[in-house]
Amino acid sequence: MDRLLIGVEAFDFLEKEGFPVLNSVLVHDADEAVAAAASMGFPVTLKIASPYAIHKTDVGGVKTHLASKEAVAQGYRGILDNFQSRWPDTRPDGIIIQKQGHGFELIVGTLTDPQFGPVIMAGLGGIFAEALKDVSFRLIPIEASDAKSILEDLRGYEALRKARGEAIDLALIERFLVRISDCLAGHREIQEMDLNPVFVSHRGVEICDARIKIGQ
Amino acid sequence: MKSLVGNYRGAIYPVNPNSKQAWGIDCWSSLTSITGVVDLAVIVVPASLVPETLHECGKKGVKGVVLITAGFREIEDELGGLLEDEIKKIAQLYDLPIIGPNTFGFVNRTAGVNASFTSEFSLIRKGGVSLISQSGGICHLCGFLAIEQGLGMSALMSLGNRCNFDFPEALTYFIDHDDATKVVALYIEGLDMPRHLIETAQSLRGKKPIVALKAGRSEKGDSASRFHTGSMAGNHQIWKGALKQAGILAVDTAEELIDTAKALDSCPLPAGPRIAILSGQAGPGMIAADTIDRAGLQLSNFTTETQEVINRLLPPIAIRTNPVDMGPAWYSPKDMLHILSATLDDDGTDGVIFLAMYASANLKLAEELLREFEESDTFPKPVMACFTAPPGVWDHAIQEIDGQKGMVVLPTPERAVKAMGNLWRMKTLLEGRVQSG
Repeated sequence: MDRLLIGVEAFDFLEKEGFPVLNSVLVHDADEAVAAAASMGFPVTLKIASPYAIHKTDVGGVKTHLASKEAVAQGYRGILDNFQSRWPDTRPDGIIIQKQGHGFELIVGTLTDPQFGPVIMAGLGGIFAEALKDVSFRLIPIEASDAKSILEDLRGYEALRKARGEAIDLALIERFLVRISDCLAGHREIQEMDLNPVFVSHRGVEICDARIKIGQ
Repeated sequence: MKSLVGNYRGAIYPVNPNSKQAWGIDCWSSLTSITGVVDLAVIVVPASLVPETLHECGKKGVKGVVLITAGFREIEDELGGLLEDEIKKIAQLYDLPIIGPNTFGFVNRTAGVNASFTSEFSLIRKGGVSLISQSGGICHLCGFLAIEQGLGMSALMSLGNRCNFDFPEALTYFIDHDDATKVVALYIEGLDMPRHLIETAQSLRGKKPIVALKAGRSEKGDSASRFHTGSMAGNHQIWKGALKQAGILAVDTAEELIDTAKALDSCPLPAGPRIAILSGQAGPGMIAADTIDRAGLQLSNFTTETQEVINRLLPPIAIRTNPVDMGPAWYSPKDMLHILSATLDDDGTDGVIFLAMYASANLKLAEELLREFEESDTFPKPVMACFTAPPGVWDHAIQEIDGQKGMVVLPTPERAVKAMGNLWRMKTLLEGRVQSG
């Protein structure tokens, strides 16, 4: 049976594999949300956690840059309302409070192609990923030189290289891509993976959102 | 028979039990009755007779087979697929490599073998390019364009149904075992197991340049996938990445495949993207310059020394900076070549686009250019030329110049720039790997 890892489950898997994930906590009520946000430090992002809401932004399930307790409490209720107006008969698993990420947004993913087998992809991420389709693919496993050339393939490469006010170390992204490729080589059960967005900044590489399909 | 007779210098044994002679050569009643050694069998019997013919090949000790006969896996009738399975087993029994079935055959210009049903391929100029194609039609397109445009080829083959001789085997042969092949051109439609080709190319990486044209660009991604990655992954996008990963230069059109292979066969790779454009007339130089950027190249800046040479040879009525209008040097091919060698000596220039169009006033330009060209040394940097003239006027000189001393002649200024851009891409493709170890 295929299994879908989303939200904290996907984060746990990635952290166990040694990948950097933005600090995230799953909460179940507004008070818990406010406490979690206060303890990790503002600003934060709130995200719906439910297998029903795969494309979270599309269903009003994401609030970013919340900088106060009030904003978090309000955001929590807003997301819950949006969810329940769509799916009145069900409850979400909870809401994820996440340290606000920042920097250049990339998408990094993998898939299992019927002819090529495991393939890695990287490109411009965030909400523009599907609209711009500025992505490039390589067969897994990749080497450092392949990772470098994936980034060079992107139309947005120059923008990434000269990201506004950020000194981005491209070598860190390249190492990240090689490690994702290595991880896939060791986990044949992973059918598909979306890491989107992945923030890159002077802080390095940080995974903001993830979903992983585990198959036979 | 028509393709072989008169071209092939070894022994030809026609086998046909119902005929005394074929193309003036006595026929043998069966393969096994032939007294001499048979290196290659070209099979054109009906599909149903192929299995027994292959058994005969095996018994005779034939080293390889070209199976032109169609009617196997490619037909709708499932019997075709069964027949193909059968011939695969027979081939395995005798360790017999088969090109085909369902192929037009192959041509090896270097060895003087035209084992195809198209005798005219023997008109292709001998050279270093070998084409491995998944389509006979593409071989015919490229083969005839090669004749027309002076592309020198060593071999061209269509793999047909690829029953036991597929891209990896062909690639390994042309790269590791055929000295006459300097450049491999591939035409790919689609493969069930593309990783074999990619991994073979990776293992042969850096030995000889490989250029590929992959069809099927319009295929869409998997729209059923709920993942961003899955929905954006079109088969063509993955191919593009995989080819690059294998050090194979992907091109978009048949003409680009031919031009690039031709340039790779005859020219050194540029050390950088900085290009000088020298043109006998201003216009062609300008449209060449317009495509420089798109080809991933830049116009070079001349050093003071180079500019002084150009200024000495050209009066100020012409544009003397890059792109250079050599119009005033029309009557002096020696000066044109002098400008060429000055730009080639320039450390800030990595390659040159050299253009000249015929006009009645410069009728003798090409022949005189040839005379000067014959005296000059081999160019240390690539030169893509475009000389256009009415049929018959400059043909001889162009043929003599084309492919010599690091210069190739291409049909248009834009194609000359595109080919130069691809030489530079090939350079970065090969170096990317070297640099990161």
